Amino acid sequence: MKNKLSRLAVPYIVWMALFVVAPIVLVVVYAFSNGDSGFTMENFSRMETYAVVFGRSFKLAFIATFVCLLIGYPVSYMISKEGEKFQRVAMVLIMLPMWINFLLRTYSWMSILENNGLLNQLFQRTGLISLYNSLFGTNLEYFPMMNTQGAVVLGMVYNYLPFMILPIYSVIVKLDGSLIEAARDLGANSLHVFRRVILPLSLPGVLSGITMVFVPSVSTFAISKMLGGGTELLLGDLIEQQFLGGAYNPQLGAAISLVMMVIVVVCMVVMNRFGEGEEQAVML
Amino acid sequence: MRAKAHIQGRASSRVLMALVFLFLYAPILLLIVFSFNKGNSNIVWTGFSLDWYKSLFQNRLIMRSVYTTLLVSLLATVIATFAGTFAAIGFYNLRRRQRTVLNTVNNIPMMNADIVTGVAMCLSFVAFFSFWSRFAVWFNGLQNMITLPSRLTLGFGTLLIAHITFNIPYVILSVSPKLRQMDKNLVDAAQDLGCTWMQAFWKVILPEIKPGIASGALTAFTMSVDDFIISYFTAGSSSSTLAMTIYGMTKKRVTPEINAISTLLFITVLLLLVIVNLREVRMERIGRQETPRSRVISRQVTLFFDSPKGKWFRRGAAGILSVSFLATVVLLTSATNAQPVVNVCSWGEYIDEELITQFEEETGILVNYQTAESNETLYSLLKSGAGDYDVIVPSDYMISQLIEEDMLAELDYDSIPNFSLIDSRFKHMSYDPENRYTVPYAWGTVGIIYNTAMVDEPITSWSVMFDPKYAGNVLMFRNSRDAIGIALSYLGYSLNTTDEAELREAFQLLKDAKNRGVYQSFVMDEIFQKLEGGNAAIGAYYAGDYLTMLENNEDLAFVVPEEGSNWFMDAMCVLKDAPHFNEAMAWINFIASTEANLANMDYLWYASPNQEALEEYPAYYEELYEEELDQETYEIIAAPQEVLDRCEAYLVLPPDIRTLYNDLWTELGI
Repeated sequence: MKNKLSRLAVPYIVWMALFVVAPIVLVVVYAFSNGDSGFTMENFSRMETYAVVFGRSFKLAFIATFVCLLIGYPVSYMISKEGEKFQRVAMVLIMLPMWINFLLRTYSWMSILENNGLLNQLFQRTGLISLYNSLFGTNLEYFPMMNTQGAVVLGMVYNYLPFMILPIYSVIVKLDGSLIEAARDLGANSLHVFRRVILPLSLPGVLSGITMVFVPSVSTFAISKMLGGGTELLLGDLIEQQFLGGAYNPQLGAAISLVMMVIVVVCMVVMNRFGEGEEQAVML
Repeated sequence: MRAKAHIQGRASSRVLMALVFLFLYAPILLLIVFSFNKGNSNIVWTGFSLDWYKSLFQNRLIMRSVYTTLLVSLLATVIATFAGTFAAIGFYNLRRRQRTVLNTVNNIPMMNADIVTGVAMCLSFVAFFSFWSRFAVWFNGLQNMITLPSRLTLGFGTLLIAHITFNIPYVILSVSPKLRQMDKNLVDAAQDLGCTWMQAFWKVILPEIKPGIASGALTAFTMSVDDFIISYFTAGSSSSTLAMTIYGMTKKRVTPEINAISTLLFITVLLLLVIVNLREVRMERIGRQETPRSRVISRQVTLFFDSPKGKWFRRGAAGILSVSFLATVVLLTSATNAQPVVNVCSWGEYIDEELITQFEEETGILVNYQTAESNETLYSLLKSGAGDYDVIVPSDYMISQLIEEDMLAELDYDSIPNFSLIDSRFKHMSYDPENRYTVPYAWGTVGIIYNTAMVDEPITSWSVMFDPKYAGNVLMFRNSRDAIGIALSYLGYSLNTTDEAELREAFQLLKDAKNRGVYQSFVMDEIFQKLEGGNAAIGAYYAGDYLTMLENNEDLAFVVPEEGSNWFMDAMCVLKDAPHFNEAMAWINFIASTEANLANMDYLWYASPNQEALEEYPAYYEELYEEELDQETYEIIAAPQEVLDRCEAYLVLPPDIRTLYNDLWTELGI
């Protein structure tokens, strides 16, 4: 120990051991045991059945993360180019929705997307649906938007977009302006400056944004239930079902959680190799 | 030219930003607008009113969960900010290698998926509880001085621990960079000049890292308020947060009271942020030209705190603060425990809520009324320790299973005189042949509810539940027993079959229909909204709920299919070791009375097991609504014998078949 101040860490180390490390160890123990707490690999041998769910979850989470990046990066960049006052207000506006619980905001999307929902009513009133029907010879009364994978992705993008914008913004805004000037002076055009200076320097923010969007997307359970109709399970639903849902089997649930955790960690490690940035972009 | 392009670029970037903000805020605006709606729809505007704000303050469930949310978020934020700041300083002063290891562990709750964190904590709490109960039994047997409670459940305590655990990393994350930015030599210099390490902390470190602490606390609070998943797994049922209440509601009908509360919260936060920002701006302005007067005062205060007298004052103040903090916590928790309580868990829309108020007024016992989604979910809640109930209202087959697993307490029938009013047909049922554990609550049948405007033929058979003709318009049960039961009925097998081949055939039928896109979604109480709003054409559900839906959509019709169906009985039971046994008896007796049964029957449209109530209901209806109850409606509520003859009650299945049900059910979802 370097000095006495390091003692301050002791209570939290104990706390972490009890409430962070021990629970995860317990998940591992559960994953390898059967109902009578004997050792078994059976939970993992059944994993093959759930490969479809893994595939679907990862696919949707990838799409959602990609869309978030596609929207989030330009937006963060543009905000950082604005005046200080504008930036402050914009940041508050991006944080603010988080204070209304995400379930409520998702619920609000339900009434927008339903077959008889606001958007479809709007389409009906404006004649968009009859236009579509006459153009494509279909006979739709509404555009089916609810209970589709698209709706689930929309829910993910909507809920996790701030998690993409905030870290990217906080990195871009701290970029050293003189680097950009130097690049300009050396004859780089805007595209070059962006590609060779801004993008590489903002990579840590992008990486932490990707992590912060991808992890909750891949493990969400309420969003898929509400917007996806529950006919196509995601990993989160599958895990919840084993613990508090309709098919009580905590051992299997623990095994699925463990596999998911391992895959996510591997993804993160691989990704962080690309952006060797050791320092994590600080949120906010 | 270039300047023009710049302006154009700026304009287009503003447009894009405006679109993103529109995307972020449109749903929220919608919520706010419809909180002023007269009707209870989130889609159809029927006029301006403030009614939902008024009824919000009378809705105990919501107010309670708002209180829990705020309390847990505030407590967790305060504790996590203290703990996190100290931990960050501690980490900072550790050797590099130790620090890296600890930082990695610290990152786990942030980087890990919420659901894994929640599940892991839930498992470890439950493991601790079972260890504790063994210890308590041993300890209580050893001596009679102190009696330790042997049954611990998830609740506010575990919720708080979970919130603190996931908040601390955010505090550390925002304090650590400030520490790194600080000049290391400052602390050494302070100590060289005679500061103790405590003084070094107060005078040197704290002022430097203040902004980090503030933003850490803000992040922690935001995370606490926004969290749903971790709370869901650690809160148990009696201390649900607002998010959990909303989640429970999204399964059936969300009352616009929820819109009202979120509008209020939103406006509060908006105001707070505006005030904070304005103050910051003003502080910056003042900071540039600090008046000498305020500087003198602050110097004096600092001097006083530094003097030996000030040291004691400081310690005293810290002591008083922490004592009063502890006292508030204790008071708050005991205030909620002082009144006698009974924790009841039932199904959604399954009680006339006025009965709860009436019972509370008559007895002074507070009813903590929770709902579960299905029998299977209730079982999971009980098994995982999340359900800390006294009274539950499971259905027949689940009761047998709970009795089999020794999870129910024998009732004290002497304190339930109203049990004698129960129709003798419904006493000594197969699930409880000696009638030691149960008092019947309501009974009914399962059938098909369909929208006559969306279906062009009269429906009489379960076949529509598997018919590609109605692809995308059918709602199927989201619980294994009912969903597989429908397939079994259609195939002509017994609902209680233990033949694996028959079950697999039924499963295949469901799976094929699902793959053909027949099912719009798997639902429980969400079916109310979907069928009432004309968002689906056909659904299978309970007869009583059909009549509730009919009130909101006249196009709906109901049929008990010709192949037969399920006939169910829900009964009140008390869990073993229930902490409020006597209150539970009072509740059961109250609900079993003829008046309560009439009120419930009128509200639920489920048939009452109380003989008087069942017979008197048509007269009761006529008196209440001044119109005759037509025979058809009455027969939907209380199915006549020829319908019941077609139907079959669920019986408890052997464990291996139950596992098969679970596996098939999970597989169907894939």
